[in-house]
Amino acid sequence: MAGMRLPIESHVLQAFVTEGLKPCIDHVISFGMGHFYISQSDKGGLVFGGDLDMYASYAARGNLPMVEHVAEAGMTLMPMIGKARMLRSWGGIMDMTPDGSPIIDKTHIEGLYLNAGWCYGGFKAVPASGHCFAHLLATDRPHSAAARFRLDRFRSGRGLMDEEGTGAQHNLH
Amino acid sequence: MRIECPLCGTRDRREFYYSGHAIALARPAPDAGAEVWDDYLHNRENPAGITEDLWHHEFGCGAWLAVRRDTVSHAVVSARLVKGDQL
Repeated sequence: MAGMRLPIESHVLQAFVTEGLKPCIDHVISFGMGHFYISQSDKGGLVFGGDLDMYASYAARGNLPMVEHVAEAGMTLMPMIGKARMLRSWGGIMDMTPDGSPIIDKTHIEGLYLNAGWCYGGFKAVPASGHCFAHLLATDRPHSAAARFRLDRFRSGRGLMDEEGTGAQHNLH
Repeated sequence: MRIECPLCGTRDRREFYYSGHAIALARPAPDAGAEVWDDYLHNRENPAGITEDLWHHEFGCGAWLAVRRDTVSHAVVSARLVKGDQL
């Protein structure tokens, strides 16, 4: 993009939906140890997912080993869902940064700003990140809440936000 | 997805550990400077199409492979052995 190479590698993350069931989950359950989440839609289907497939991909679909892994994580958390039949699955493209945190910053190109690298956590952050991005565009200064999401943090090492303590390296988040 | 290991033949993706882009083979000199090292460690072409990345045949022969692959179709084009001292 604009001749720039970014600290981003695109990966595929799968999600799954079961057949409709009677109400059994009234909130989102996150299983940190298993990297798994699940909720129930208004139509009754269980909606769940887990880890990335863990290889660079722009295909809007994943592979079977991760389907098996996510299903195993679900069964570890709540074996009660074991008889639910899966209806469909899909893959979304995740713009992964080396430290697992996003970038909201201006670039070295006049007038070009970045709001990218949201990994697999962007959707719920859209309103707040949009607010911070608008602040940056309007004032040319970062919003205080997003001041650490700098593009140059990988080069300088300052403000790296490594959520898992595994190092700011591609393929670890 | 299956990868054709030059030593073992065609094997399931489960046998391999993905280790990122094959740019890792082009390690800069220790004194190359912060810009060069930042580019090597973090910045990526991230192509939608043919790419080359490193896979370790950890549940097979233990070889490191540079695999050419299509990130859009998941088709595997080729795989070649790389030496340990290149990593």
